[in-house]
Amino acid sequence: MAERAAVVGIGQTRYKSKRQDVSMAGLLREAVDRALADAGVSFDDIDAVIMGKAPDMFEGVVMPESYLADALGAVGKPMLRVHTAGSVGGSTAIVAASHVQSGSFRRVLAVTWEKQSESNAMWALSTPQPFAVHLNAGAGGYFAPIIREYMRRSGADPNTGIRVAVKDRRHGARNPLAHLQLPDITEQEVADSPMLWDPIRFLEACPSSDGACAMVIAAEDALSGDKPPAWIQGVAMRSEPTMYAGREEVNPQAGRDCAADVYAQAGIRDPRRELDCAEIYVPFSWYEPMWLENLGFADEGEGWKLTLSGATSLDEGGDIPWNCSGGVLSSNPIGASGMIRFAEAARQVRGDAGDHQVPGARKALGHAYGGGAQFFAMWVVGADRP
Amino acid sequence: MTTMDTLEKPFELGFTYTRSTGPVIGHFLGALAEHRILGVRGSDGRVLVPPPEFDPVTAAPLDEWVELATEGVVLSWCWVAQPRASHPLQEAFAWIMVQLDGADVPMIHCLRAPAMSAVRSGARVRACWVAEPVGRITDLCCFELVEGDKA
Repeated sequence: MAERAAVVGIGQTRYKSKRQDVSMAGLLREAVDRALADAGVSFDDIDAVIMGKAPDMFEGVVMPESYLADALGAVGKPMLRVHTAGSVGGSTAIVAASHVQSGSFRRVLAVTWEKQSESNAMWALSTPQPFAVHLNAGAGGYFAPIIREYMRRSGADPNTGIRVAVKDRRHGARNPLAHLQLPDITEQEVADSPMLWDPIRFLEACPSSDGACAMVIAAEDALSGDKPPAWIQGVAMRSEPTMYAGREEVNPQAGRDCAADVYAQAGIRDPRRELDCAEIYVPFSWYEPMWLENLGFADEGEGWKLTLSGATSLDEGGDIPWNCSGGVLSSNPIGASGMIRFAEAARQVRGDAGDHQVPGARKALGHAYGGGAQFFAMWVVGADRP
Repeated sequence: MTTMDTLEKPFELGFTYTRSTGPVIGHFLGALAEHRILGVRGSDGRVLVPPPEFDPVTAAPLDEWVELATEGVVLSWCWVAQPRASHPLQEAFAWIMVQLDGADVPMIHCLRAPAMSAVRSGARVRACWVAEPVGRITDLCCFELVEGDKA
């Protein structure tokens, strides 16, 4: 790694199903203004603006970066748009971090959002394509057979997904920004909810949210604000083809390689022991046990046992709480969802996560995946300077 | 080696979208429904119309409203002799850069005029409205020349 960089400001909107009171620009500014205030800086202190969101077709605003340059204070500065489908929030944070780590920028503003209420994410995600067979499935339909294959291979307890759905919503009830507030949700309710894409039930799927998330990332000589910085100890991204027929989709190689890379940078050999918590992109409940294995927290075929043991639950005092903010299962403004994971990991190591704080957290993993589980972005942040 | 001709097929894709206009664009559109045109004062003192939500120089939120005249002056223009179906007017017309009285910047719009010879930079024009305004930018359907303009 080159220059040291740290998160010094974080701003999020309250996540909701519809924010019809604000324009897209206004929604973004809520998050950006909060991030700048958190960092104790103004637009004058920002050297570059990096923004990300899911594909333009979701809201039908083509090249939103051109419409948003003034609202994001990018006038007279470099501005860059990042595209990596659902992982874009994570990739955007990493591009911003890389700008600072390059030594060419002292403070970079990173911002991501989605306004699902104004979009058509379900069908814009799986549009017909010329000269190709149309997979008219949406995200749930795409991932359901992969989950089925995980269940078959691992012999997992069929209630594992239900456990994750309840755990993350109870976590989300600790987070006042979370879209879904379901403190009293029960496993029976999840089990009784409609089966959308077998084996994914309605309450095992993420909601559709409006919201934005922003961060200020600063160089070591440009730290600011009253809160401790979240030092970036490693960043990694990996990609693989979606349509390659021989691809391992349950436990993608790109995810394993990305994790190995980010752990090596952060000096982590045993992620379950050495990390205090993790914010992992789990849009459908079964992705928790699958990613527990992909990211090396459990051996292959064993992730579901970790979930059932309560190890990933803050409420049960687990040793490696996952998604204390409620995760994607509680809030899903798609373009922002990856950045929320990265930002919530940073909040934990800053000791600033409110009622969903993991006591004494000093090292955390933020993770995002996107496309057909083909783009991965991860960072490790810590309370200690690397 | 077998090669194929370039593939070609008709292709259409469509979605229904919505827009939340927010406090600035929404206020501007609401005024159009009342046949009023509002600008907003920017950080440099200039009155901007259509109003940006955030200042184009400082990025500050803008909220100092200024009601403008529905008349203005043509700064420059371009004649469209043969309109196509997607043009806003179906008879020959002019695209104009029109600066409304009270505004410090021009905006692009269309001018209904009897002939190209009737249009000139410096001409006075006034806004024309649709019969049943609904709070859309298209409520302001075009401009027309002010009669007896000697400017």
